[in-house]
Amino acid sequence: MIKQVVSQVRQGMIPAHVYADPEIFALERDRLFARSWVFLAHESEIPDPGDYVVRRVLADSFIVIRDESGAVRVLFNMCLHRGMQVCRAEMGNASHFRCPYHAWTYRNDGRLAGLPFHEEAYGGEDGFARRGQSLLPAPSMGTCNGLIFISGDPGAPPLRDYLGDFAFYLDFYTRQSPAGVELRGPQRWRIRANWKIGAENFAGDSYHTPHTHASVVDIGLFREPKASKRKEGALYVAGPGAGTTYKLPPAGSGHSDFAGQMRYVGYPDAMITAMADTWSDRQRALVADSGFMVSAATLFPNLSLVHNWPQIDEAGTVVPFISLRQWQPVSERETEVLSWFAVDAAAPEEFKRTSYKAYLMCFGSSGMFEQDDVENWVSITDMAAGSMARRLNLNSRMGLTADGKPIKPPLAAFAGPGVAYQGFGEYGQRHWLGMWSDHLEDGAR
Amino acid sequence: MRPLPYSDPAHLAAHQFLVEEAALLDAADYAGWLDLLCEDIRYLMPVRVTTARGAGFDTLAGMGHFDEDMYALRKRVQRLATEHAWTEDPPSRTRHFVTNVRTFREDGGDLRVESALLLFRSRGDTREADLISAGRTDVLRATADGLKLARREIIVDESVLRTQNLAVFL
Repeated sequence: MIKQVVSQVRQGMIPAHVYADPEIFALERDRLFARSWVFLAHESEIPDPGDYVVRRVLADSFIVIRDESGAVRVLFNMCLHRGMQVCRAEMGNASHFRCPYHAWTYRNDGRLAGLPFHEEAYGGEDGFARRGQSLLPAPSMGTCNGLIFISGDPGAPPLRDYLGDFAFYLDFYTRQSPAGVELRGPQRWRIRANWKIGAENFAGDSYHTPHTHASVVDIGLFREPKASKRKEGALYVAGPGAGTTYKLPPAGSGHSDFAGQMRYVGYPDAMITAMADTWSDRQRALVADSGFMVSAATLFPNLSLVHNWPQIDEAGTVVPFISLRQWQPVSERETEVLSWFAVDAAAPEEFKRTSYKAYLMCFGSSGMFEQDDVENWVSITDMAAGSMARRLNLNSRMGLTADGKPIKPPLAAFAGPGVAYQGFGEYGQRHWLGMWSDHLEDGAR
Repeated sequence: MRPLPYSDPAHLAAHQFLVEEAALLDAADYAGWLDLLCEDIRYLMPVRVTTARGAGFDTLAGMGHFDEDMYALRKRVQRLATEHAWTEDPPSRTRHFVTNVRTFREDGGDLRVESALLLFRSRGDTREADLISAGRTDVLRATADGLKLARREIIVDESVLRTQNLAVFL
């Protein structure tokens, strides 16, 4: 079955049932999430020794903790003895975790510190050596810009190698100054939609904005006066990621240098100076010379990012915000969304306050953009579960001619790495689906 | 501080305010609902989190589901009135059940009103309905136009919401 599915998907025709199919979901669990790099948390969520958050990769619960030495650890949340969760809170601060069942106790670096009646029950160190016993660490762990990822594959390539060209784009969201980004949240809610739909949407669906999000244009929340402005943006694919951008005002508009463009989307001068110092020539050139501002993006498999700049008051003040969001699969028909507000840690307090307001109005559990997205995705999943969906291949070939060539050449003047096209096209979604196909097809390992 | 007796006219007025408000929301009369709000309203809904007993907190610092002023609430209402607010077109069928109302008189003369809310939300014909259970702490202010809502804090009883979005008011 999977060979037929991926052969269709690689032609840009997606068998609709993949959005509600338990067999596909089992393959995603075993072949994709069991070995891909998956985002868990950000270092700013656990600033002090002992701070922890508990996060999942599908059914696996992990404690993401800063130990007494300040190192970040990711520990499988299951007691070595009888398998009880050693931590049942979702966040907090702890020097030790004591299992509620038999009181085996672990230090916050995972090492077994003690167990009751060690001498009487086990014959002491001769019977059961505590030394070397530890909660299972994640098989692989890596960080980039404070973002903590794990992989179930102990032989996973280093995270930086995996991120490749996408790291260039990640900096726009998570490294606006040497202080780095701080994350607040996440808001968590469950939607009855397949997890892939959101990931694909953020990877490159600029085409939905004019219609799905017409209401936020109607009410003047959106800085860009016409949602159809979306088609002037560039879409890029780079490494394991893909994303969308907006075209910035042209030369002569008074905005066309780096600082002018960053002011156009609402950044205060202190932050613009930091960004100019922190980003590379090439990163600045994407804004100043190519004239594009990053917006939505997805890092395969299930971390998405968004940057937008709404009007947050009656005076029309434009303030940008950043959100990171994860599409955490619950089943083939249900997804937990985790949505964080992200802001540069060194940003002025007033900016943090107004940017948070911008985020809440636009994205997250109550966001006015996100509300309409989720309605679509729930409805798609509902339809994909039936028999007729097995007869329908969804057309995801936008931007390709019938013989599979791009309808227009890639942008020659695009400062970022990877390949970029201006105008509408499902390049990013096909890129994402190509990686998805590679994983699902590869049963080895 | 003890709540006002149920026979106190201030309690009766506060209770009636909440019931009338619920009726407006269930009738999707959002313009009417905005009229019940003070211009300087703060409308908050913190994110609840599961923490150890004794942790001293069970909401996230610096992150809510809502943290709204009048501008943001007006925008939400304006959006629902457009022809393009797909998530509520067709609209949800909602029922705001308001109970356990306790009224306290604040020093400045405002009323602090605590209530329990159960929101039933049904969409379409195939989806299971959603329930959102929450406690609310409101500040009601006496104005020339009667009582108005000056502040609302919604303490939701789930850490992970089981509803597709908050395109509804609580």
